[in-house]
Amino acid sequence: MAEALREKSSARSWRAPRLTLRQREAIEAWLFVSPTVVGFLLFFLGPLVAVVYFSLTEWNLLTQEATFVGIQNYVDALSHNPDFWHVLRNSFVFAMGLVPLNMALALTLALALSRPFRGVVFFRTVFFAPVVTSAVAWAIVWRFLLQGEGGAVNQMLALIGIDGPNWLREPDWAMVAVIVTRVIKMVGLNMILYIAALQAIPRDYEAAARLEGASNWQIFRMVIWPLLAPTTLVIFVITMIGSFKVFDHIYLMTGGGPENGTLVLAFYIYEQGFKFFNVGYASALAMIMFVIVLVLTVVQMTLRRRDMQ
Amino acid sequence: MKLRLKTLSASTVLALGLVSGQAMAEELRFTVWTGSEAHLKMLNEIAESFKATHPDVTVRFETIPAADYTQKLTFQLAGGNPPDLGWMMEDAAPTFAAAGVLMDLGPTLREAEGYDFADYSEPALGLWVDGEAVYGVPFSTSPFMIYYNKTLFDEAGLEDPLQLAAAGKWNMDTFQDVAKTIKEKTGKWGFEFKDGQGYESRIMHALMPPIRAYGGDVWANGECGFDKPEAIAAVQQLHEMVFKDKSIVPPGEQGDYFSGSSAMTINQISRASKMPEAGFDWGIAPLPSGPAGESPVIGQAAIVVFERGEQKELAAEFVAHMTNKENVAKMAQFFPPARKSVLESEAFTAANALIPADQMAYVSEAIEKGKVLPSHERSPQILAAMAPRVDALWKADADVKQALAGVCAAIEPLL
Repeated sequence: MAEALREKSSARSWRAPRLTLRQREAIEAWLFVSPTVVGFLLFFLGPLVAVVYFSLTEWNLLTQEATFVGIQNYVDALSHNPDFWHVLRNSFVFAMGLVPLNMALALTLALALSRPFRGVVFFRTVFFAPVVTSAVAWAIVWRFLLQGEGGAVNQMLALIGIDGPNWLREPDWAMVAVIVTRVIKMVGLNMILYIAALQAIPRDYEAAARLEGASNWQIFRMVIWPLLAPTTLVIFVITMIGSFKVFDHIYLMTGGGPENGTLVLAFYIYEQGFKFFNVGYASALAMIMFVIVLVLTVVQMTLRRRDMQ
Repeated sequence: MKLRLKTLSASTVLALGLVSGQAMAEELRFTVWTGSEAHLKMLNEIAESFKATHPDVTVRFETIPAADYTQKLTFQLAGGNPPDLGWMMEDAAPTFAAAGVLMDLGPTLREAEGYDFADYSEPALGLWVDGEAVYGVPFSTSPFMIYYNKTLFDEAGLEDPLQLAAAGKWNMDTFQDVAKTIKEKTGKWGFEFKDGQGYESRIMHALMPPIRAYGGDVWANGECGFDKPEAIAAVQQLHEMVFKDKSIVPPGEQGDYFSGSSAMTINQISRASKMPEAGFDWGIAPLPSGPAGESPVIGQAAIVVFERGEQKELAAEFVAHMTNKENVAKMAQFFPPARKSVLESEAFTAANALIPADQMAYVSEAIEKGKVLPSHERSPQILAAMAPRVDALWKADADVKQALAGVCAAIEPLL
């Protein structure tokens, strides 16, 4: 009898264990998120880890020869390559020019267009349209407008007696030109974010401040601007990351020229990896760019958090 | 039950049929950079005629735009998905050959019946042959010619380049003169660099012809030629035309020859297919001669087979078919051949419906006398190192000699 009982119990132990509700839910939840998780691992984390590994090799794409070289690519970039520092400087100039200009313009437009008035939708559409315009079409049109002698921009400047430069063929002016045309293209996106944030601020705050006798500037400075801080932080971070990653615009407008005047980091990485096939070196540069953007973002977030407190 | 059996056997037969069909029919993938319908029609006809000896082989031509061609090809090779065959431009050849990704076609071509490998002009093969090994067969050995807008020349009351060439007066000086007169009399540009990209992606196409006309070279035997007196004189003249005469479309400006904004440009005969819709009278003429006499410049492209392809033997056989006498003669309407027998035939001068025989004769002559554009194992790096220095050259107040010395300083370590 005891034998029989033991047999029975061991037979029961072979049956699939009964799951608790909690466990069942956990399994179901994992099944639901698994497509995303697999996608994340395969297409995001995988390549990211691979880039770290590639950056430690000297790998020629064409010959398929890869040798492990340790941190040599990083050493080469940071100490033996004057081009790298020039390119890094260009990237910072681009970001320092683009981010403030873009944010200031976006905020100004948002303040003007956040309240309803006749035609507001039209104006919002006008400023947002470039965001959804093809980058190629945008670049082709601007290359025509910015021609040295026959360009529309210079012809307009000539009307007010200014002899405009050959915009895309002089290194300093080319940088100005790519920054401004990029700002005009992308400002609509930040404008929409600011409009959403402005519309979320209760009107009572402004009314209360006005009762206290605050001027428009005081209301903006003391009430609206602080309340926009979280949005400003988000906009700053995405605009800055975007400006460090800028590639298509440079590729289409100047190809990094003239005289490497607009050769920015993302474009330089492309050249190294896709034109010279130095995949290892390009990966190391990509890691450096990743770290720079990460540091800038963390610094900005820390400062902001302290500010808000 | 009966019905189920029938269905089962029918599907088995179908499946077997598919499997055996797959095993028998073979497809070769062939990458090209032309998207022209006329070109593809001709290529497909050649592929169709391969069926006479290989009834089960089909060839699929895959177009990759020229600007990204070498890059995308590299990714297909690196990604383990190489095409079986492809076109290859001269500037990419040394890099690919050195990397060992091109198959040696020598044995197949020499054994192919009636192929007559010796018929290929030796100078034209130079870039593609290493000892006995043959890494590619040039299908286009196309010299750069001057395309001119006859309507604009008539308007300015000038003899056109073809007339000047016939009279033996077509040289760098008359080239500068007519360009200047065109600008003064018609307001249009006298000359535009190839496809308007002479300051950016086509630096070599812009600088090579005049430098060779003056007897110089951009580099040779590991030595930079830009800072030699011949090259300086040639570039000085171009610089004068751009900034003093204002007769060449300057940097940052758009002046399209094909829409009638420039009186002359430089291009190959394959581009003649664009001319019927241009809406003006036109012609082609040789490049202007210089102090070193006539020195035509040739752009070349070849057919190669990729070593990592799974059907490389079959692909090599297709190359032998595609580049036999008959097919080379057929392709000659678009792509000037490197086969002497075809080049010397009257069929060649009559091959292009758009270009009259007297103008085609200049093309044949240029192929015989011309030199291929320079190439190098590290071409991409050299061009990238050159670009910013060449930018510095194209300024009104630039010191040409100094700028060219800068070009040499930048590229010499790479040569």
